Amino acid sequence: MSIKYAILGILAEGNLHGYDLKSSFDEKVGEFWSLNYGQIYSTLDRLEKDGFVTHDREAQEKRPDRKIFRITPEGRQELTQWLATPVTRIRALRDEFFIKLVFMVKSDPAPVLALIDKQKTLHLKQMNRLTQRKLAMKNGGAGNGALVSELLIDAGLFHAEADIRWLTLCEAKIKAAIVQEK
Amino acid sequence: MIELRNAGKTYQQGSREVRALRDVSFVINKGEFLSIMGPSGSGKSTLLNLMGGLDQPTSGEVFIDSRPLHGITDNELTLIRRRRVGYIFQFFNLLPLLTAEENVGLPLLLDGLPFSEVKPRAAALLDKVGLKERAEHRPEQLSGGEMQRVAIARALITGPAVILADEPTGNLDSHTSEEIFLLLKSLNDQGQTIVMVTHDPKAAAYGSRIITLKDGAPDQDIVIGGDNP
Repeated sequence: MSIKYAILGILAEGNLHGYDLKSSFDEKVGEFWSLNYGQIYSTLDRLEKDGFVTHDREAQEKRPDRKIFRITPEGRQELTQWLATPVTRIRALRDEFFIKLVFMVKSDPAPVLALIDKQKTLHLKQMNRLTQRKLAMKNGGAGNGALVSELLIDAGLFHAEADIRWLTLCEAKIKAAIVQEK
Repeated sequence: MIELRNAGKTYQQGSREVRALRDVSFVINKGEFLSIMGPSGSGKSTLLNLMGGLDQPTSGEVFIDSRPLHGITDNELTLIRRRRVGYIFQFFNLLPLLTAEENVGLPLLLDGLPFSEVKPRAAALLDKVGLKERAEHRPEQLSGGEMQRVAIARALITGPAVILADEPTGNLDSHTSEEIFLLLKSLNDQGQTIVMVTHDPKAAAYGSRIITLKDGAPDQDIVIGGDNP
């Protein structure tokens, strides 16, 4: 699972406590991936057990100590290795939409065609938001962080485009199938 | 700004009648960045040509700045086309024997303005699209992206009411396309109305509104962004 590597990557840039870790996660990949605190803490637990992360306690006034998490040398090695390994698994068709499609096509095509329209509109709105963010970033700072964020946004745009093209094809094929049956 | 009222277009193909567009009605407001999408043969380019007066509807009406494009003489239509509409095409449509600066100035030269007056305006627009150093180059000496920048500068020189772009990056790679869209978006941010026919959702995402066509008729009219009027 790559939540683990995203957390290692964030900690490789500096020590953080859980709350800041989530903020940093949201800022970097939040557009594509949302995590709750539970997932973050359970992943941190596992990383500690594996020896990739450790923590120091920081005293707070009138509150329990808070944990500042830190990546270990083993964690860094694990991250470096992961970063150098190409991704072989293609994006799984695990979208909720796909499941809906599977169950809807057989019966009545009208709702699925309406769903496809809605899904495409949603994608287009998301693409507009991503483009706005890219524009804001281009007008803002330069530097490696900005470039990487821009490239991530581009990846999101290309994925959304592929989805829209696929949905358009679904629509055309479903309609052609209806004509054939008549 | 631009209004279509029940606009339709029927072609005669041999003995067969082809309805390229049927009963299209909508309004494009000043400052909008609108994309027109739809499958091949759905009438996108026909629609764009009607909006710019390049083609006449066989039924219904088209207005630019509240002025009808019907019931006027060919000369009047030519003037509206030349002065109020800026075109950008997929294959740039630059004249190969003219320099970048002359290509940009062409609409004004055709209007009878002296080159001495046109030259500084063309030079300023080439500067605006980032091609200051290319003013004396001919199209064959320019890259695809540069040629499209020249075409954009040419479209701007009359201060048109609207820019109509037909697959403006259909012939360009992704990175060059993005630079063209960034340029169009910055023009739109400065108030330029833009209507663009595109297959590319990434291109449409720069705009705030999308009209989709199916079989020659409008299918959906979607607002995808809130930054534009």
